[in-house]
Amino acid sequence: MNIRRLKDSISSRLMLAATAFACLLFFFMLVGLYYRASPILSTEPIFDLLFSKEWSPNAGKFGFFPFIMGTLWVTGLAIVIAVPISLLSSIYLSEYADSSLRAAANPLIDLLAGIPSVVYGLWGVIAVVPFIRNIFAPALGVETIGGYSILAGGIVLSIMVFPIIISITSEVMRSVSQDLREVSLSVGATKWQTIKHVVLRKAKPGIFAAIILGFSRAFGETMAVLMVVGNVYRVPSSIFDPAYPLPALIANTFGEMMSIPLYDSAIMLAALLLLIVVMIFNILARMVLIKIEKGVI
Amino acid sequence: MNRKILITAITVVLAVFIVATLSGFVGKPGAGTQNIPSGDAQTPAVEELEGTIRISGAFAMYPMMLIWSEEYRTLHPKVKFDISAGGAGKGMADTLGGLVDIGMVSRAITPAEEEKGAYWIAVTKDAVVPTVNSNNPALAQLKKSGLTRDEFEQIYITGTIRTWGQATGETSNNDKINVYTRSDAAGAPETWAKYLGNYTQEELKGVGVNGDPGLAEAVRQDKLGIGYNNVNFAYNLNSRKPVEGIEIIPLDLNENGKIDPEENFYGTLDEIVEAIGNDKFPSPPARDLNLVTKGKPTGIEEDFIKWILTDGQKFIPESGYIVLPQDKINEGIEKVDSSA
Repeated sequence: MNIRRLKDSISSRLMLAATAFACLLFFFMLVGLYYRASPILSTEPIFDLLFSKEWSPNAGKFGFFPFIMGTLWVTGLAIVIAVPISLLSSIYLSEYADSSLRAAANPLIDLLAGIPSVVYGLWGVIAVVPFIRNIFAPALGVETIGGYSILAGGIVLSIMVFPIIISITSEVMRSVSQDLREVSLSVGATKWQTIKHVVLRKAKPGIFAAIILGFSRAFGETMAVLMVVGNVYRVPSSIFDPAYPLPALIANTFGEMMSIPLYDSAIMLAALLLLIVVMIFNILARMVLIKIEKGVI
Repeated sequence: MNRKILITAITVVLAVFIVATLSGFVGKPGAGTQNIPSGDAQTPAVEELEGTIRISGAFAMYPMMLIWSEEYRTLHPKVKFDISAGGAGKGMADTLGGLVDIGMVSRAITPAEEEKGAYWIAVTKDAVVPTVNSNNPALAQLKKSGLTRDEFEQIYITGTIRTWGQATGETSNNDKINVYTRSDAAGAPETWAKYLGNYTQEELKGVGVNGDPGLAEAVRQDKLGIGYNNVNFAYNLNSRKPVEGIEIIPLDLNENGKIDPEENFYGTLDEIVEAIGNDKFPSPPARDLNLVTKGKPTGIEEDFIKWILTDGQKFIPESGYIVLPQDKINEGIEKVDSSA
């Protein structure tokens, strides 16, 4: 075999190995976390752990329900805030804005994506939390504990996912063929009708994928959320309540885990749960995406 | 076929790797630091010390550690420091996990931690004090009557005191108390909970805020808030007064419903430091601050800790901390010297 072909074969195998490694990482994590979480799973049925509301590690009570609900509330609220705003701005950027504005706006939005989580958290503490305490909550006549709430977490989180959704969505929309737009305009449709019925319809799978990508990141954004969300072990009942999402639990208590029996196992289980929640979210999203591509939705 | 074999091979190798990582979760001790033979602390070091000392942990000890490291560096310019604050829990976890050489832990070390190899030495002392916003509507009354341990317990643990009126006895005041606590595993909440009656951090009620500075900020922004801070975060080191926007709630130690002159030592940092030093301020919330290493310290870490216990002690008073009694310091020096 000559050296040229040997090189080719080695490099392709190396790349295959790298790909296999990347694909298998998820399963290694799953197995690793399960292995470390198994002590607590063997003491109590999983159902009790997931739906019990009491968390007091010193008494050996590990109920994950408040944390699971906290995660879902914060992420859900962030979706509600982020999706409309980022969709509208990406429609504007790709369809209406002239190229100079686009050239100015895109780097700014990209910049937003690169800001470290803890900076968002600090900003949340000095701006979002006081805003909720002093202006928003009094205006609606609701009580908060100093503004630390799901709402604060949702606002901070939504801003963190804006840049991802905006940049991918406007990219997808710009990739829609110009011919389609011209055809639509030539039969007398207005610009908005063209966007709504032609561009958005064509770009729908891509937009949906952008939203999934944004929120897969959002589930685990720890620092920013834990700094503003209040971290109280209780099932929240409104967006003005404090909550305790799973990533915050892991980050906050990691240090104490060695002194209390089963604590480390419980924290590993929390990580496993988070992984599974994200996985389920992704599978559902993937199913919807397939349906969209088939034209069912 | 070929590919299948390749993938299987990779999987096996990786699985071994992952299992190895997992089983060694607590990591290798102090890997990555140079093992420089230390000179005897009493006689000047013959060999020039060099290397990096990585430190993390309690916010309570962070300001003191910065001063110690700077002073130590003037003696040994080749020693570098890498210091971060992240709470006592993080300090303990990082040390036992081999991520840092020395952990700062502002609470007692548990037997479980000692079992895992935590080797601790008490080096100085400070306290946790309850804080309130300086625009609190009940401030004047709070300053006059203070709060008893029992009242703090009802605010922080049982939740039976919910308004500032209930706390101070002025029934006309219906302002809600916004209770703040630390969310990260730390020494201050452990110490505070212990003062309230042998509780643990999980039992403290209230909104959890991250870090000592975060808790101070939460109270500074909320005029109905109550919190607690390490002395060095509640007071400004330059002005020696409580941090702007924050007041300290005096402890009504004899529970007679008013703050007597001998209970009143919260005006300046120096007053409270003195009160902690001569035990007028109770312990807890005063507590020893510990340095933790994984196993007995060696090399530059040993030399640094020994220096802290000897020459380093003179920087303590001006920094707003309390020097430990001499027999406790001797105990520490013995612990470093012993060939355990």
